[in-house]
Amino acid sequence: MKHRSKVGITIFIMAIVVAAIAAGCASTPLRTEASTSGIRAAEELGAADVPQASLHLNLARESLEKARVLAAQDKKEQAASMLLRAEADAELAIALSHEDSERSEALAAVARVRKLQQDSR
Amino acid sequence: MNAKSIFVIVACAGLLASCATTAPIELVNAREAYRQASTGPAVQVAPAQLHEAQQALALAEQSFQKNPKSYQTQDLAYVAHRKAQLAQASASIAQKQASQAQARRDYQDAQSKIIAETKTDLDQTRTALAASERSGEVSAERLSSAQDARIAADRQTAQAQEALAASAAQQLASEQEARKAAEKRAADAQAALAKLATVREEPRGMVITLSGSVLFATNQSTLLPDAQLRLNKVADALLINDQQNLIIEGHADSSGDAGYNLDLSLRRANTVRNYLVGRGYQASRIRAYGFGERNPIADNASAEGRANNRRVEIVVEHETLATNK
Repeated sequence: MKHRSKVGITIFIMAIVVAAIAAGCASTPLRTEASTSGIRAAEELGAADVPQASLHLNLARESLEKARVLAAQDKKEQAASMLLRAEADAELAIALSHEDSERSEALAAVARVRKLQQDSR
Repeated sequence: MNAKSIFVIVACAGLLASCATTAPIELVNAREAYRQASTGPAVQVAPAQLHEAQQALALAEQSFQKNPKSYQTQDLAYVAHRKAQLAQASASIAQKQASQAQARRDYQDAQSKIIAETKTDLDQTRTALAASERSGEVSAERLSSAQDARIAADRQTAQAQEALAASAAQQLASEQEARKAAEKRAADAQAALAKLATVREEPRGMVITLSGSVLFATNQSTLLPDAQLRLNKVADALLINDQQNLIIEGHADSSGDAGYNLDLSLRRANTVRNYLVGRGYQASRIRAYGFGERNPIADNASAEGRANNRRVEIVVEHETLATNK
């Protein structure tokens, strides 16, 4: 009898823990910080003005919105997975913006060299 | 079951199996993107990003192996695709940065080259300038010598001019003195002539009138002895200035034949001319004319008048008239 009560207590505790974990998981908010900060960074770098970067910036925004919709639908896992898309697109938008500015600066540097060489002739 | 049925079953099973293992489009794109990234410059310049892409693709493949149609597989493949693109973008950024760095080096090299060329040009210019300055110093020395020589020449010229001016002044003074002396002689001669004969000034010159009765006997053209003495004094007075032209004019009174009188007056004029030439006057400067009785100066009705008309006039031409002739 005593042995049964210990098993019962153990099961009860485990049930509480599981319930608590389950309750915790159910109440965990959607972590969109990485996505939103990536999107904000891309915007500040002028991604909207670079065609290819602008595309991925929009994709990131859409994915973020879909994630929020999924989260609202209590599809946490799908929402989290969708946030990965948003983060990846935001990161790529940043890189493409950076690439565009590097391209412009490289072209300007080459032009400066050519002008200097022409002027010195 | 025959062999044909077995083949159909196997084919259908294979088809079903292939349908079951068809990768989602996200995974297909991810594989292709990674293939491109892994064969491009990302291998060299963006290995970290390429490694992340590889890991992301591996996760997607694992998910695909576990659950090919799950959203996790699609999302992981999507992320792997983006990671591969990110690797390529990173490689491109690295290339652009390398290009910029190379451009900066080229710019610096060009600047260094220009500076070196400019420095060389400057050195050459300085050298040329120094040579020019040296040449200028030599030129300055030559110029100084030339200036000294020119100053000396100017001084000599000035001295010569002074000497010439002094000489000219002296000559002028001498000429003035000579002119004064000549004028004095002329005045003396005129005064002496005034004592010997009648002297008057006319526009054609100074006219010296010698009485014919004093010079010649009646109807004669030979000089009387006393006339020679008188003509000597006249000749001496005229020789004071022997550069003047003389005109000897013989005149007669109206007695007798006019032609004879004309001839006689001419012969008498020539006699006086010859006598003056004999006394040293230049023959080329003396002309003799006979006017006969055409130019009387007194009334031929009286003896005194005829005596005055018989005369010889010596016209001393003015210098200007003599020159014009």
